[in-house]
Amino acid sequence: MSNPYVPLLFLMGVAAVLALGGVAASAIIGPKRYNKAKLEAYECGIEPTPNAVGGGRFPIKYYLVAMTFIIFDIEVVFLYPWAVEFRTLAVFGLVAILAFIAMITVPFIYEWRRGGFEWD
Amino acid sequence: MGALALAATVATETPAVPGIAADFSNDNIWVYLVKAVLIIVFLLTSVLMALWFERRLVARMQVRIGPNVHGPLGLLQAVADAMKLLMKEDITVKMADKVVYILAPMISVFSSLLIYAVIPFGPEVRIPFTDFTTPAQLTDFPVAVLYILACAALGVYGIVLGGWSSGSTYPLLGGVRSTAQIISYELAMGLSLVSVFLLAGSMSTSEIVNQQERFWYALPLLPAFILYVISMIGETNRLPFDLPEAEGELVSGYMTEYSSMKFAWFFLAEYINMLNVSAVATTLFFGGWRAPWPLSAINDGMFNQGWWPILWFLAKVWFFMFIFVWVRGTLLRFRYDQFMKLGWKILIPVALTWLVIVAIYQGVVEFGEIDRQFFIYASLALFVIAILGLVVSSFATKAEPEVAKKTEAEPFDAFAGGFPVPPLPGQQLPPSPRAARRAAAAATAATAVLEVEAEPDTTTKTEGTSGD
Amino acid sequence: MMTSTGEAVLFWVLAPAMVLGALGLVFARKAVYAALSMIFVMVCLAMVYVMQQAEFLGIVQVVVYTGAVMMLFVFVLMLVGVDASTSAVETIKGQRWIGILMGVGLGTLLVTVTARAALPETVGLDEANSETNPAGLARVLMSDFVLDLEIVATLLVTAALAALVLTHRRRLTPKIGQPERAAARMLAGDHPVNLPAPGVYARHNAMDVPALDPEGNPIEASVSRVLRIRGQEHSLDTDVTTLVATRDAAELTGDHGTDTAAERGGQNDDTDAATTEGEA
Repeated sequence: MSNPYVPLLFLMGVAAVLALGGVAASAIIGPKRYNKAKLEAYECGIEPTPNAVGGGRFPIKYYLVAMTFIIFDIEVVFLYPWAVEFRTLAVFGLVAILAFIAMITVPFIYEWRRGGFEWD
Repeated sequence: MGALALAATVATETPAVPGIAADFSNDNIWVYLVKAVLIIVFLLTSVLMALWFERRLVARMQVRIGPNVHGPLGLLQAVADAMKLLMKEDITVKMADKVVYILAPMISVFSSLLIYAVIPFGPEVRIPFTDFTTPAQLTDFPVAVLYILACAALGVYGIVLGGWSSGSTYPLLGGVRSTAQIISYELAMGLSLVSVFLLAGSMSTSEIVNQQERFWYALPLLPAFILYVISMIGETNRLPFDLPEAEGELVSGYMTEYSSMKFAWFFLAEYINMLNVSAVATTLFFGGWRAPWPLSAINDGMFNQGWWPILWFLAKVWFFMFIFVWVRGTLLRFRYDQFMKLGWKILIPVALTWLVIVAIYQGVVEFGEIDRQFFIYASLALFVIAILGLVVSSFATKAEPEVAKKTEAEPFDAFAGGFPVPPLPGQQLPPSPRAARRAAAAATAATAVLEVEAEPDTTTKTEGTSGD
Repeated sequence: MMTSTGEAVLFWVLAPAMVLGALGLVFARKAVYAALSMIFVMVCLAMVYVMQQAEFLGIVQVVVYTGAVMMLFVFVLMLVGVDASTSAVETIKGQRWIGILMGVGLGTLLVTVTARAALPETVGLDEANSETNPAGLARVLMSDFVLDLEIVATLLVTAALAALVLTHRRRLTPKIGQPERAAARMLAGDHPVNLPAPGVYARHNAMDVPALDPEGNPIEASVSRVLRIRGQEHSLDTDVTTLVATRDAAELTGDHGTDTAAERGGQNDDTDAATTEGEA
């Protein structure tokens, strides 16, 4: 049997051609009329807000969400092979994975109780 | 026929079936290429259809007509729009980070085009006028559904990088919002899929469709299905979750600074992603290409063979597209904190609980000697207890701020400033005189019937209250 | 199992690309470019894994690392700033030289180890993947490595708690949400509904000019407070009153062609009227 991933390369090729081709086509076909105002950032007609000193920073809140996401993402990734092999792994696998889920749920609840999921 | 024969053996009790159900052994390079091109063509035409479909349907829901000028029923409207975009000037704004700015829409559309590679449109089909049979699917492998998640995760980069590289405020806000949004909803989506894998014992799409011969997974896994539908709308940034491009707040979010084809790619990617998640929902929960129940029984499964299944598959995909439009026409956009709350405090805990329930149930059924009925009752009881606990705890937390509120209680002046005005926060409406009168009238009627001498007392009271 | 030609071709395409990506990660001035190079390397690495029949690992690599790099990206936005480049200032004296020295040491170590490594024929891949790769992985994971799995869980717990401790600040004051704000606004006797929209005139299509009330006076509050503080608002005298004047003149002469000034949408009129009433 041939490698099932080879067809993906074909699709990737066609998709890449389309993605590149479209942008290139519009760059070639489209008109080019210079206008200073057109090249400004759009802010409903007013002069664009200048960049904040130090580059403008975002609330650290997003970091907590991203970190929690990674933790759960890794958990979910471990669940997948177990789910596939659920029948062969039997009770031992079930207990092991339930313990795993329980352990991940502890920080989740803690974060919840501490207000880590509150947005304002 | 090999796949069907295999399907028959698979449908009966088999633990851990190796590999995948579809048989790709006939395919060669040319078949791959033709299929790949067909998928792209299918997606592009479907998007054109979807644009028309959505605009017409939303128009109907809003008692309008919608586009009806270009072509029959306005069908060519989307084509006209696409052509217009192609002819537009390709602007690169001054503040943009050039390379990333151009790369971002391409990443977006590229990764959205890849997902249909593993979606089974149907079982084996025979190419007309030849003996050549091939599955109506580009490819399939044991981790196909994970591959879909991976492509979706890559697609987010288009949005985030587009938002960042524009060098403008609104796109940046849109981009960062979409990071948080998509990662929050991807978790719920990933968790809801685990129960499907658990039942199917596979992550290959064709195998999952095979396993749904007896019943579609939407039935036994209804909560997982609902979770998936909610998170799929969240993943695709559609209303009510379209915060990254909220018009009222962020102009157009991450796409604000894009024009011409680069904008078109973002737009195209959004609609292809709708088609993608609809196809995944169809494959994992709605039996894929299988005919709906009464049809599937006709003539020894005639409708599940040959080219028929492609029709069922498309019908199901468009059913989900309809849901997208329906939801869009019905619901309002969430506020950001409500949105995050829904993702983290409702969807993920529910998904986790559901997963544990399914795992334990399956465990008991497969390995245990405990009676099934007992288990169902016990889990129902636990569920009720959990709901009650949630309700009680929510009341307990809600009660707190109310107490602090009751500090100032100014008397309510119904005609402050000479106009009738509603009460200000903290003020109480005085008891309604009309209600008192009505109560009194009822009382008098009652007393009249009973003929008791309590009448003069109530009438004076009514007059007293209605006097001011 | 020998390397097939397809595998070799893919490797020689991907490997140089990956090296370039990795160099980009190190040398990129902008932190976002570094993050981008990293995701590129990760995706290429995933392809190499898949090519070597570690399908699950390959795909999971993309799923997890896209999230992880996304976090890095967000982290950059939060700590370094949206548009800042990394600074090349030495914070510790001689840091650069120590770095170079250690880098050379590590390089030498890696080169010698790789050069001396014996690469025997791989065995057991077919048995391991006999019932698909994820299934084989699950069996190993749930038998020999089950303790490690649980330890990973504790590691994740630690990470979650660390993130919370580092970034979360306990709320000391009660939360002010939408209803509270609305109530406060009502109690203060402020403008009860939305402020009037700015005047968008045909000659100056922007939101930095105040709207006019029915008597033709500018409503200062209709221009965004931010713009007023920045001093970016346009005054009515220079731009618009002249337009109004021309409009009036045009109306007197009966010429409607220049009737462009002070065009407002119907909904603005309502709010404007409300403001005048409030002021009166």
